[in-house]
Amino acid sequence: MTVESSEVSPLSLDYQSEAGRQPPPNPRGADAAIEMAQVGKRYWKLEDRPTLVRSLLPFNRPVRSELWALRDADLRIEKGEVVGVIGRNGAGKTTLLRLLAGVTRPTEGRIVVNGRVAPLLSLGIGFQREMSGRENVFLNGMLLGLTQQELRQRFDDIVAFAELGDFIDVPVKFYSSGMYVRLGFAIAVHTEPRVLLVDEVLSVGDSAFQVKCLQRLDEIRRTGATVLMVSHQIAAIHYLCPRSIVIRKGRVEFDGPTDDAVALHHEMLSVDADADASGEGGAPSDSHDPQFIGGASIVGRTLLRDGREVRTVKPNDRLKYRIRIRFERPVEDPGFQFRLVGPDGRWIYARHTPLGLKHRSIRAGEEVEVELEFSARLGHGTHLLQCVVITPDARGTFATDVEGLHFFVEPLVDRWGSVELDGDISVDGIPVASLPQADRPDSPASEVTATTV
Amino acid sequence: MAEAGSGSLMQLDSHPGSLRAWTGEIWERRSVLGVLSRADFQGRYKRTSFGIAWSVVVPLVQALVLTVIFARITGVLQKDFGAYVLAGVLGWTYFSQSVQSAATSIVDGAALTDKVWFPRAILPTVPLLSNLPGLLATMTFLVVALPLLGGSISVRLLLLPAGVLLLILFTWALALVLSALHVYFRDVRYLLQAALLMWFYITPVVYPQRMVGKFSALLDLNPLTGIVALLRLATVGATDWVLPVTISAVSTLVLIAIGIEVHRRHDRLFVDLL
Repeated sequence: MTVESSEVSPLSLDYQSEAGRQPPPNPRGADAAIEMAQVGKRYWKLEDRPTLVRSLLPFNRPVRSELWALRDADLRIEKGEVVGVIGRNGAGKTTLLRLLAGVTRPTEGRIVVNGRVAPLLSLGIGFQREMSGRENVFLNGMLLGLTQQELRQRFDDIVAFAELGDFIDVPVKFYSSGMYVRLGFAIAVHTEPRVLLVDEVLSVGDSAFQVKCLQRLDEIRRTGATVLMVSHQIAAIHYLCPRSIVIRKGRVEFDGPTDDAVALHHEMLSVDADADASGEGGAPSDSHDPQFIGGASIVGRTLLRDGREVRTVKPNDRLKYRIRIRFERPVEDPGFQFRLVGPDGRWIYARHTPLGLKHRSIRAGEEVEVELEFSARLGHGTHLLQCVVITPDARGTFATDVEGLHFFVEPLVDRWGSVELDGDISVDGIPVASLPQADRPDSPASEVTATTV
Repeated sequence: MAEAGSGSLMQLDSHPGSLRAWTGEIWERRSVLGVLSRADFQGRYKRTSFGIAWSVVVPLVQALVLTVIFARITGVLQKDFGAYVLAGVLGWTYFSQSVQSAATSIVDGAALTDKVWFPRAILPTVPLLSNLPGLLATMTFLVVALPLLGGSISVRLLLLPAGVLLLILFTWALALVLSALHVYFRDVRYLLQAALLMWFYITPVVYPQRMVGKFSALLDLNPLTGIVALLRLATVGATDWVLPVTISAVSTLVLIAIGIEVHRRHDRLFVDLL
């Protein structure tokens, strides 16, 4: 499926009518974990803050204009669902999470959240620098709603999960940022939350711990907890959430399969970019997120090994990833960036054409074939290949192939990891590979096929 | 539905919860009050050599200085003037310290309140509790040292807990109101500082109330007058206390009612203004 609008919009409408997303006028909250009906949150945008004197004076009142951070939001999330929240900065994602965490109340509408909420909006809430990790476990845990007794029972698990060892009795001001985050996450996930609100926290900590966090989130989810996840890393949402909602300018624009949500999000980014470009400045786009121009789409993807199409490969296989891109507008010398997303949802590799490369002019309606040839020096698991079509200076993008192509790397029996480094072991100078070996089972992956999300 | 225990169902709309729900939630989250107070208390004396002893020594020095100066100025030469001043200063110290940190507590606690929900009234209550060990220690010191300071141990000391209780309640009342007000108007912090400077002198802490002559009736309107009178009645004795204590008690109740109502209505909206 491409990013093209004519294909996305009807599909999204279909999904909505099919799933019967009509808001119940009176949320029952009996089996849903989260239920929002016609929720709106208004903020007053003030030209300047009111002061005591100015608000007492009948004249010279501060000028204020209303700003709906969220409006008419209907949302029903069942227990055990994992739902992504996608939207630009300032679209209302954080407001949504704050409302669900209960730190603020809606201006209109009604919210029901069923079960203990763990707001992973930032880790280590209320940590006191002078106090030890142990003391902070109790402080933070009680802020998150646990009793002292519950914390005592879980204390050892928390310390073990955070991998802190003896450091638990050291004041947290001596902690590295990684230790700090690990402890914060460990406490949060040990509150046995029924509803987790995750906001960007997965982008901190080292990669090994990130994987552990994702695994733990998955475990919690399997116990029937509900996860609502905001991330700018679309890949992470892709990886974890089958369903996503798209928020744009305070409205829930879409609620459905993540593939479609992501496609719609990118489509809307281009619409918004056009609107921003055509006057009044608009909101500046993310500096690290190049301006979306649009006008191109990926119409074909193939992964080839020795000229044959494959979806399951072995480590070190030499592969060719071939895509066809259709341009709807004339483009001079576009650049191409390929990305490889690992099984844990992180980008592990990117390769792009040199900036400013001169190769050809493309006419409107023309198709271009681009190929990335590479060695799959990868560990076991499902990987995702994506391509971004960019301007020669990399400041704008014509197309982002978020859907990409998934392929599966088979495991090898005697090694493990996210990369394949061709490791060899020798004993007393004799390579192990040349020694006689016991009957070794062949790679067990023959029955495993590629997953296409 | 019941799996996560009580209070696991959160329902929110544009209206504030009932008074019953508000108090119920505070009771449910009382451990947060405890843990924050302990952290505040420990944080204050961490890495000091004398720890909580400082909370006794500082007001003592203050009382000593004031006693010497004001004994001169006012010409009061009663032998229990030391105990007289100390009783007032100890009450005042607790009041002014607690109210000052409570007034800004919600704004200062923005890092907490932005991320996790608990009733916001807990924050202005924290300094009341974290200053409490200091108050109790100094009050104990006062009682023990009473004979040395010219006072005497008598059955009137039984009134001391009542005085301390009224002091705490009045401080809490003001803490609730000011902390909410400060979210909306950041002038409150400085207004309070200025007000406390004046308040100290319109409260008969360092001089006998009868000294001000016809203004004495005006001083009775000051809620702290009754509280100081009660503390004195318990330690030094012989004070006019009925009217000022009544005024203190009534104004405390009124302010607590206002404070609770303001918090009940606004506490989930504070975060929008931080």
